[in-house]
Amino acid sequence: MTKETTYAIVVEKLTKRYGELLAVNDISFTVGKGEVFALLGPNGAGKTTSVEIIDTIRAPTSGKVTLLGMDVTKRKYDIVRRIGVLPQGFSSFDRITVRETLQFYLRLFCCMNTDIDALIELVNLKDKTKEQYKNLSGGLRQRLGIAIALVNDPEVVFLDEPTTGLDPRARREVWEVLLGLKEKGKTVFLTTHYMEEAELLADTVAIISKGEIIAMGSPGELIENNTKYLDLTLQSVDEKAFEVVRKMGFDPLLDNHRDIKVRVEHTDDVQKILSAIKDAGALYLGLDVRKPNLEEVFLKLTGEALHDGYVEEKGAE
Amino acid sequence: MNPRVVGANLFVKLMSVYREKTAMFFTLAFPIILILVFGTIFMSQDNVAFHLCVQDLDRTDSSTQSIKTLESSGKFKITRVDPAINAIQYVRDNKVNLVLVIPKGFERALLQRIVLGDADASVTITYIYDPSSSSVSTKMQILDAVFAGINQQMSGKPPVIRSVEKSILTKKYRFIEYFIPGIIAMAVMTLSLFGTVNLNTELRQKGIIRKLSTTPITRTEWILSDILYQFILAVISTIAMLLVSYAVFNVKLHLDAWLPAFILLDVFAFVGIGMILTRFVKEAQSAAAAANAISFPIMFLSGSFFPIELMPGFLQKFAKTLPLFYVNEGLRASMIFEDNMAALRYSSVIGVFAAVVFVLGIMATKWEEG
Repeated sequence: MTKETTYAIVVEKLTKRYGELLAVNDISFTVGKGEVFALLGPNGAGKTTSVEIIDTIRAPTSGKVTLLGMDVTKRKYDIVRRIGVLPQGFSSFDRITVRETLQFYLRLFCCMNTDIDALIELVNLKDKTKEQYKNLSGGLRQRLGIAIALVNDPEVVFLDEPTTGLDPRARREVWEVLLGLKEKGKTVFLTTHYMEEAELLADTVAIISKGEIIAMGSPGELIENNTKYLDLTLQSVDEKAFEVVRKMGFDPLLDNHRDIKVRVEHTDDVQKILSAIKDAGALYLGLDVRKPNLEEVFLKLTGEALHDGYVEEKGAE
Repeated sequence: MNPRVVGANLFVKLMSVYREKTAMFFTLAFPIILILVFGTIFMSQDNVAFHLCVQDLDRTDSSTQSIKTLESSGKFKITRVDPAINAIQYVRDNKVNLVLVIPKGFERALLQRIVLGDADASVTITYIYDPSSSSVSTKMQILDAVFAGINQQMSGKPPVIRSVEKSILTKKYRFIEYFIPGIIAMAVMTLSLFGTVNLNTELRQKGIIRKLSTTPITRTEWILSDILYQFILAVISTIAMLLVSYAVFNVKLHLDAWLPAFILLDVFAFVGIGMILTRFVKEAQSAAAAANAISFPIMFLSGSFFPIELMPGFLQKFAKTLPLFYVNEGLRASMIFEDNMAALRYSSVIGVFAAVVFVLGIMATKWEEG
């Protein structure tokens, strides 16, 4: 078995230039069958360019992409029948209803056996079948876009920033649909700049910055490999506790003049701090121990924090 | 090519326009308004009478008789100008474009010539005119013809050369009947060109084309569905134009299979041009400007509104390279002259043109992004 047949997607030394601008710089990775793969990065990092090359919308400058065993630059028409795509900023015909839109795409794929009602149920649009596209909210539109991406029962589904611009509730509704896809065992290629989205949905996350993949692995692996600490917060402490922690050799911070925040390397350290505070007769009302997340991984790897898709340099106000 | 895919596309386009009733109304209303406006303007073109101001400085029986002769020609409605007024000032002050001045000594000169036989006796009538007016040269040409007739009558000899009018047509057609085929051709052109460019740039800007590029639809299926869609709109528009023309102007036109054939060829040609244009127009806002830049010269130079014989020689040659010229001529050949051979000749030219731009349109249509 070759690499091309083992994996759903094989990307090798992929590069894309727009004139002088190097949008994607020599990236390589594989996506296994049934895997949910997230390309995570800020706006302008090269996520959309990468996914659009893989799903046949755009041509690469150099490198090779094999999708379901086929070269994307040579077998577009065979590939598009076996994939589903939700492009970035998805839009549809304003005056066409939800059901008519799905029927339209069904006919394009000639999949007359697809159960439209099941599809509508999957994306939870049962009450909106007669609604025209222009009357749908952002979240409903994205769910329709996902349903369209599934009309041909694709082997690989590409979702380019499926929750960008949605409010938290609509975002969670889309996540539920995507978790449903994951349960069905679909191969999903997702791009996002939302850390928690990648962490919640993806089996594998590739962090992309300035056109290059800087880290890749499961969310757990990325956190484990890049952040070796825990954040302990002690709520409503008295000043005595602060001194106790400081004297133990840690570097505590007083937050809002009430909480102590302290970064520790092992869970044993948490136990030691709590015992020392107790022995000193100091008080605290609550405690929180938090593992780092992808946000901290991104900050560590790039030196930049990510807010709403845009980067903010470390230490910037 | 998959007819189911073409049908699905056609359905979406037709439903979109059906549910966008305002756009549908104005699409159909534009050519009808043109027909009503031009039809009303030129309804009595054969009996048109120009307004003519005459200043009689001679105030004799002969000068009065000459003015009556002008009036009785039926070509002029006469307004008399006070001889005491400066005629040039009168033209400026009253916004008239022509004052005909009969000089003092008019009758005396006529008598000298006719009664006394003085061959050198003559009189000069002056046209005081505003050259910025478009109708003044026509008025002066008619006046020249009337005075030539009077001169000829005064000579007392029958004319050497006479003329008689014989139409090649059995029926007498009015201007509006020549005008309608041109308006049909023009309306179908604007529908197809603007419809294609606007729709495709809008779909591209909204990202729908990008989504379609990830489906199995081919460029040929996409363009064919567009042609069918534009053809259906063109047929509806033509029916509306003909109904209004028959109802309001009682036109008499010959309708046969050539009419839908020329509409289809017109649609093919301009959807193809629209597809080529879409390749180069990036924004929806510039789409209308680009379509205007193409359609306006074609509209005015192809003989839709006025005969190309009125244009300078080089423009006439250029007009014959324009596709709409052959649709105009073909429609007139079939709807007025009932000349099947001429219609066939014109349809062959526009047919070859349509086939070429259709292929170029397919080649220019781009699914993938750069």
